[in-house]
Amino acid sequence: MSKVKNPMELIDRYLQAVRFWLPKTRRQEELLAELGEDLRSQIEEKEIALGRPANEEDVSTILKRCGAPMMVASSLAPKRHLIGPTLYPIYTFVLKMVLLWILVPVFLFIVGPVNLANAGGNVGTAIAQTMGNLWSGVFIAAGVITLVFAVLERTQAVVGDSCKWDPSSLPPLEKQERKTSLVQAVCELGFGWFGLIWLLLLPQYPVLILGPAAAFLRAAPMWHTFYLPIVLLAAAGVVRSAVILVKPQWTWFPPASHLLQTALSLLLLRFILTAAGQVASGNWHPFVVVAEGVSDSVKFIHIAAIVNASILLSLACTWFGLCIAAGIQTWEFMRFVRNRVTGVNQIVNLHVQ
Amino acid sequence: MANGTQGDAEIFENLKLELRRGCLTLAVLTQLRTERYGYTLRKALADDGLEIDEGTLYPLLRRLESQGLLVSQWREEDKRNKRFYKLSSQGEQTLKLLMDEWQRINASLSKILQEA
Repeated sequence: MSKVKNPMELIDRYLQAVRFWLPKTRRQEELLAELGEDLRSQIEEKEIALGRPANEEDVSTILKRCGAPMMVASSLAPKRHLIGPTLYPIYTFVLKMVLLWILVPVFLFIVGPVNLANAGGNVGTAIAQTMGNLWSGVFIAAGVITLVFAVLERTQAVVGDSCKWDPSSLPPLEKQERKTSLVQAVCELGFGWFGLIWLLLLPQYPVLILGPAAAFLRAAPMWHTFYLPIVLLAAAGVVRSAVILVKPQWTWFPPASHLLQTALSLLLLRFILTAAGQVASGNWHPFVVVAEGVSDSVKFIHIAAIVNASILLSLACTWFGLCIAAGIQTWEFMRFVRNRVTGVNQIVNLHVQ
Repeated sequence: MANGTQGDAEIFENLKLELRRGCLTLAVLTQLRTERYGYTLRKALADDGLEIDEGTLYPLLRRLESQGLLVSQWREEDKRNKRFYKLSSQGEQTLKLLMDEWQRINASLSKILQEA
């Protein structure tokens, strides 16, 4: 530490260091002036007690007791959250959904195979390239989501203050068996809309699913048959989420509709997989084909084969996952029905007694 | 075990902070029935056994002033500019209500603690 001629200079240096961490507003300047005055008063009192002018050590002791400049600034500054405790659980949910359930599968089943084909079958290069792309993708997605929630956090304060509510508009008392929380229902609806819009944009913007491979690949004719049922199923999912949100008292609806949606998805997937199996084995490109007029078609046919195999694998995994989900949902639905019947019987017994 | 002790100490510190927060506001308002500036207010509180650091006091004073409970004025004293605070008329009314509430809570708590 450099020696100072005037120990009081340490106070100004200290205040300057605190100022660095504070927003430049008049309020903060006034707080700093008060802090400075407080410190000078403490030194003055110390000098009276010691009967001599304060030296550098005396001033340092007082400043050390006051705390490190950054800590003092943090207690003086107005308390703000980038994302507050109200939105934080939804933020982490959306982040997990996007990163784990959208980004990672897209990279695993679409970008990875395309990179592998572009790298001429060199697995090491393809993995390194995919990991690099995934890394940037994760950062961009996380950044955008954080930004959106930070904006929501700022606007929420305004909306929250002006929001008028009427207790009589509260939804009827929930029954115990209801499992779908409001946050979950809102997120499901949001993601459902997002998914539906994404699906509707796919014919015009194949890049949304194929990424850079959209330059030389296009959807196979089989999608002319299956695109509309897929869109209808996604739209039904949105309607289902909206009904759960609007009619939370329909406790039978979430398990029943979930099971129905899974059953329909399984049926559709079964037709898609069967149709894929019926494509001629000599030219097996059921999901994507090389676009017309693309040069170096041998290379791109190889890429198309890898992408087709990846899509088949992902569809098979989805089918397997849906089978497990259907089993669990059937059990949940049966349990719901059993509880309902038991509950009704108990009420009847109470009335009889 | 060490972690448990550390955790207990942290829980106690947090609970103590929560307990002190409301009491500090009441103490500050009460002390400011007489006009004071920051340092003398801190000293008066410390002399009565309620220490408060600079980082807690000045934002609290600013908040109470923005709520209309305090009025402040920059004035020169002993060749230095100091900000003097005093209870506003609204602050006096609020303090009266708070003191009543405090007496009520204190009586209830004393009763509860005696029963324990």
